[in-house]
Amino acid sequence: MLATPGSALSGGDGTAGNEHVLFSVRNLRKFFPIRGGLFSSHIGDVRAVDGVSFTIHEGETVGLVGESGCGKTTVGRMLLRLIEPTSGHAFYRPPPDVVDRIEQDYQAIGMTPLPEDGGAGKLSPEATKALHDLDGLADKYSLFRKKRKEIKALRARLQIVFQDPFSSLEPRLMVRDVIAEPLDIQHVGTRAERMRRVDELLESVGLSPEHAWRFPHEFSGGQRQRIGIARALALRPEFIVLDEPTSALDVSVQAQVLNILRRLQQEQRLAYLFISHHLSVIRAVSDRVVVMYLGRIVERAETDELFSRPLHPYTQALLSAIPIPDPLLHRERIILTGDVPSPADPPSGCHFHTRCPAVMPICSKVSPPMAEVRPGHWVSCHLFPPASAPGAGGAVESPAPVESLGSMDAGPLTTTAEASSSP
Amino acid sequence: MSAAVTTPQVVSDAAPPSPVPVAAPVPEVSASSVEARPVVLDVRNLVTYFYTYDGVVRALEGVSFKLRRGETLGLVGETGCGKSVTMFSITRLIPDPPGRVVSGKALFRGADLLWGLGAEARFIPVKGTNRVKVKRSFRKVKAAQARVGSVRGQGIAMIFQEPTQAMNPIFPIYDQLSEVLLEHRGEELVDGLMQATPDGPAVHAAADALERSVRVSDDAIRDAARALGEAAKLPSFGTQAFYMARQARVIGRTNLAEDVRRAASRLRLSGAQRTFLKNERELMSIQRELRSVYISEMRRGELERVHRGRLSARRLRTRLRGLPYRFPGVKRRTSRPLREEAFWRAVQALETVQIANPVQVARGFPHELSGGMLQRVMISMALSCDPEILMADEPTTALDVTIQAQILELMNELRTRIGTAILLITHDLAVIAEVADRVAVMYAGQIVEMAPVKSLFTRPMHPYTQGLLESIPRVDQPSKKLESIPGSVPNLIFPPSGCRYHPRCPHAMPICKEQRPPMTVEQPGHNVACFLYNGPPVVE
Repeated sequence: MLATPGSALSGGDGTAGNEHVLFSVRNLRKFFPIRGGLFSSHIGDVRAVDGVSFTIHEGETVGLVGESGCGKTTVGRMLLRLIEPTSGHAFYRPPPDVVDRIEQDYQAIGMTPLPEDGGAGKLSPEATKALHDLDGLADKYSLFRKKRKEIKALRARLQIVFQDPFSSLEPRLMVRDVIAEPLDIQHVGTRAERMRRVDELLESVGLSPEHAWRFPHEFSGGQRQRIGIARALALRPEFIVLDEPTSALDVSVQAQVLNILRRLQQEQRLAYLFISHHLSVIRAVSDRVVVMYLGRIVERAETDELFSRPLHPYTQALLSAIPIPDPLLHRERIILTGDVPSPADPPSGCHFHTRCPAVMPICSKVSPPMAEVRPGHWVSCHLFPPASAPGAGGAVESPAPVESLGSMDAGPLTTTAEASSSP
Repeated sequence: MSAAVTTPQVVSDAAPPSPVPVAAPVPEVSASSVEARPVVLDVRNLVTYFYTYDGVVRALEGVSFKLRRGETLGLVGETGCGKSVTMFSITRLIPDPPGRVVSGKALFRGADLLWGLGAEARFIPVKGTNRVKVKRSFRKVKAAQARVGSVRGQGIAMIFQEPTQAMNPIFPIYDQLSEVLLEHRGEELVDGLMQATPDGPAVHAAADALERSVRVSDDAIRDAARALGEAAKLPSFGTQAFYMARQARVIGRTNLAEDVRRAASRLRLSGAQRTFLKNERELMSIQRELRSVYISEMRRGELERVHRGRLSARRLRTRLRGLPYRFPGVKRRTSRPLREEAFWRAVQALETVQIANPVQVARGFPHELSGGMLQRVMISMALSCDPEILMADEPTTALDVTIQAQILELMNELRTRIGTAILLITHDLAVIAEVADRVAVMYAGQIVEMAPVKSLFTRPMHPYTQGLLESIPRVDQPSKKLESIPGSVPNLIFPPSGCRYHPRCPHAMPICKEQRPPMTVEQPGHNVACFLYNGPPVVE
């Protein structure tokens, strides 16, 4: 399907538009170096996140799904700068016109391979200009260019709830100190005001003020997770990364926690990045879903669209593998063989080709570009080539794939294939 | 596949064909046909307490269920409701102290695994506290452990929740697999080795044929290797030759036939090796007889001291006779054929769980494998002795959904192929819906509802089951509102009186506080313990 410029400009989600963009994540990469050999030299990289782009709007929940080791937690942590990215940008609150400019710049760069990525030749003048423009925008808006002091102020608005409620609360602090710690760090109010705020927060997550005087070990898993949520809420953030917030909990408790999260979002217009491997939970809470496999995004769409019409073979397999609590329902199952490959040595071409039921010869050679198959529904698979790409054929057929900056998200103008890791 | 098939083992056409032969479809599992199957495990009124410093934790309070041949019984409940404790109580793996199976029966084909419990310990309450002191007779506890040990492995195999913790980190995978094989299949292994003819002309011809097949295809290699195994009258040698041939193909080695013949000549047993093997076999058969004596002790309910004494004397004599072959250095050489045979059997076991490169995996250590791979290794270990009962404690909880689907598929296949009865312990109701025939729902150490899977999901009766089902988010019903059960799991040192669910129950009545509801039959096969229903009580 031919993507309209408008939808491409919106960062690839078609519906929500340029308004109220909270984060525009572009080409995010994180390589963890592997050291070894003589003098601990750099012998390789674990490509934990390899060119990820997506957008988060105010007050919405973006679900990030994938199997363990696909890099979803790394993405979440980079958005709070708990991990420094290798490259890429996360534009924080860009105004609508800036969103457009970013988009145009990436398209301009996407046309020419960059020298540092092994592309031949020099940059075209437009690409150089775009690169400079992007650099300027990044200085102004990118989270990764902020200084320490700015980050400290921003952390009040960006928060995280960790996966394991048993190790994410300091065991030597009382619950009230755990929850008040962010307030202390940001010097909010007087001591009495902070304590009032703690009581308020405890009530908002369904605990009572008397719990403030206890230690974390006195609580069950679900209660601790609620304390973690209360701590994240303390500074009235606008964005919370929820890193598998319910995977350590029982279903009945999980329902309690999910309901609390939902209510808080409505009350405070919070945006969530909901990271989970549990698709049924993702479906219950998200507005839009991003599916990751081995460090890359394979599919991105609105929740209902993704679950009713999954296009990428991996998403299809993932969906069919979810057990459904209804013995009367019989589905055709796609059972994937094998394991997730190691991100230190990812397969060539499309990362999924080693397990893909619909694998073609091209898949092991060229990594597929992101294509908008329906409005707002983006897939990275050779089964769905970008329809209107001028010169796309040439790039796809070229034996030596070229790495390009803008390929993950540059929309219809993406011509070059996202290059595989060529070790 | 017809709609009558209850177990969802439908694999899409797109999936690659599995190397394991597809078994005949599972017969329709209706309530009546399940009833007709023989009971392999009958658990009655299991009571397990943990004697801690804070008091007695009443972890299991009268758990009863029956497990029939070839059926999958799901055991669901929240964390801490006693699912795993049930499994560990039956196989007597409860850490003791502090835990203790207090009373109950677990009849495994008529043999009570918990026989002799009453004599094992005395309980002395400590005045002024909630504590109870337990005085154990360690001689009796040890004897009981030995008795139950005779059932573990071949009778009841187990898959544990955390594969990384269940494997020994300092031994390679093959070592841990061969241990199981030598313990339960030892005689078979020795017999195979003794009657193998690895050096005959037939083997030489087959080796040449194998070398030719390398140039053809993988399937041809497989067939040729199998033929070689038959010629040598040792199937595991075929497996060895297969991987040699595949290796030769990869590295382009030409004199494969020579290599195979050399490997075959190593299988020609020397006099010392033969004597060692005979001695080993004798020890293994004594071990087997000892196991059957233990089982008959549990079945008859009395000790067979004379019989056991005679066997252990024989074992001592045999050990002494084999001593010359057990010196370090000598043993290394004399036991080599047996060790190699066990290694290739381990590789075969890994093949059955669809591990792509079993030789490398077998030589690897547990930390080198991913969770899914290790879980498959654990399953292959549990299945390597074709157990009658497989108890799987959260076998897929630590795994990703795509791997979970593979593992569940594998367990299902095993059930249809060998008729193993599976006790599947999980907190994931969706997994239960996919693979179980019957479900037992546990709450705070008691079974509150027991029903065929369809009946449980379409008509849950116990308020707790209803609450659980309401709280699951569903992929197929996104708009469903998630209902949560208020409160949390009770403290089992001071469990609620009467029905243990009454503090959280939306339908609690005065009687619920006072009496424990009996298990009643509401529909054929659908039992529930709740005062809302008043069917006839369950008869044992």
